[in-house]
Amino acid sequence: MISVQYELTRILFVLVLCSAALLITQRSLTSLFSIYAVQSMLLSFIALLLFWKTGVYALLFIAGLTILTKVVVIPYVLRKVQKDIYTKRDLEFSYLSPVSSILISTALIFVVYKSFAHFRFGLSQDNVFFMGAVIGVSLLFIGMLIIFSRKQMITKIIGYLTMENGVLLFSLFIAELPFIIEVLIILDLIILILLSAILAFGIDSTSTMKEFHRKLDPFSLWFKKQQK
Amino acid sequence: MNSFMLYSVLNTVFVLLVSPLFISLIKKTKAYTQGRRGPSLLQTYFLIVKLMKKEVIYSSNSSMIMRITPYLNITFMLAASLFVPLLFIPALSPGIGNIFLFLYLLVAAKFFMALAGLDAGSTFGGMGSSREMTLSAVIEPVVIIVFATLAFVFRTMNMHEMFTQSLGTSILINPPVLLISLSLFIILIVETSRIPVDNPETHLELTMVHEAMILESSGSNLALMELSHAIKQTLLMGLLINILMPWGLAREPGLVNIGVATAMFIMKGVILAIVVGLFESSVAKMRLFRLPALFMQAFFLAFVTILFELLNRL
Repeated sequence: MISVQYELTRILFVLVLCSAALLITQRSLTSLFSIYAVQSMLLSFIALLLFWKTGVYALLFIAGLTILTKVVVIPYVLRKVQKDIYTKRDLEFSYLSPVSSILISTALIFVVYKSFAHFRFGLSQDNVFFMGAVIGVSLLFIGMLIIFSRKQMITKIIGYLTMENGVLLFSLFIAELPFIIEVLIILDLIILILLSAILAFGIDSTSTMKEFHRKLDPFSLWFKKQQK
Repeated sequence: MNSFMLYSVLNTVFVLLVSPLFISLIKKTKAYTQGRRGPSLLQTYFLIVKLMKKEVIYSSNSSMIMRITPYLNITFMLAASLFVPLLFIPALSPGIGNIFLFLYLLVAAKFFMALAGLDAGSTFGGMGSSREMTLSAVIEPVVIIVFATLAFVFRTMNMHEMFTQSLGTSILINPPVLLISLSLFIILIVETSRIPVDNPETHLELTMVHEAMILESSGSNLALMELSHAIKQTLLMGLLINILMPWGLAREPGLVNIGVATAMFIMKGVILAIVVGLFESSVAKMRLFRLPALFMQAFFLAFVTILFELLNRL
């Protein structure tokens, strides 16, 4: 018996992996943010499909929360920061070129697949759960790879966010975290993004501490303005 | 056997007729996105007819290679065209359909084209050949892996059997098919020298790859080269279409079946050509040294396809 929801989920998995491949190779910051937003959108669709299948309301809330924070708020903040640091592209890669990153990520996916295959029978009868787990953990590793291979702070943040998306995907299919923990994770995420965005603002656009302080000044004003 | 004869004749004639249309359509789409009206849809046919009438001129340095290459090229392409059924799949296909043979036919044509580029002894031709071979050295392994993945997904090396199988399924049931189509699209772009890789419209020495190699050909030879390029594009498009959206492809010959299949294929081909044209208009040409990243994406997708297929079989 083939269920429509699971088939659609599989197709969304395909798109999630494509977005991960694009995140590794893209250089333009704006398209990186958009790809991240699209990826989060795909995850919320997956959550919706699972809700449609199982009827657990927590999944619906997770989908809504994901759209609100990761599709709207976080990309907005990132774009704002990007405008302030006057960089459009991240051209520098350390240790690994994009080509070797992609090769390594295929190897990582394969390793994850192989190591999960051992306890596949304990997981579930439908292989979509196994697939979700493999792709979630692979996404986590790909996020690490992005953090590892990019030089600019702001792209490292994207890598971190990708890792978080991987955890979300994993938890959707395997762990079933309580809803309150998901909410806390997302709250943490927003605070973390704000903090690291400020850091990124300093690290990416200045060279000395003094310059950093000077530049931070108008930026803090911007935050105060937002609070009012 | 009779149906196979019918198939060979029909398929070859159809490929020859429809290929120039897609070339002009892509040009037209690109022109529209740039706000121009563009050439008429029949322009490529006129071009080929015009070139056919013209005199062939050989450089005094050129050898036999230059003289036989256009004929070899068109022969390889027409032989390869039998591997991709565009209208109906013959019940029996003796000796043809092996996916790696298809690949080798395409590569053999490319090889002779590169030789012909060198043969005339002009600097541009040599540069084009050198670039083409450099790119091929990177893309060919990826193409082989993608085709091997195709064979793995459909569990057969015969292309006709693959298409018969893909007729029986839909995309929804088969995410690997969706993934492999993305790889095939990248290969279509790369192999037909389209924009992120090469610019088919330019005659600037800095950017051209494919155009540089055929710069020394003239008259009917050039017409044959252009035609074989168009056929190559139709074949790769047909491969993608038959795998991703095979609806309309007939299983048995018949007047109605073939009529429907012709209309359907032209429609799908037009859609794909417009997609290619839009894609070409929306990206900038890549630097030569960034191209491996594009090829690696095809590789990544092919690899993930294998993984999905493995998971599906669990």
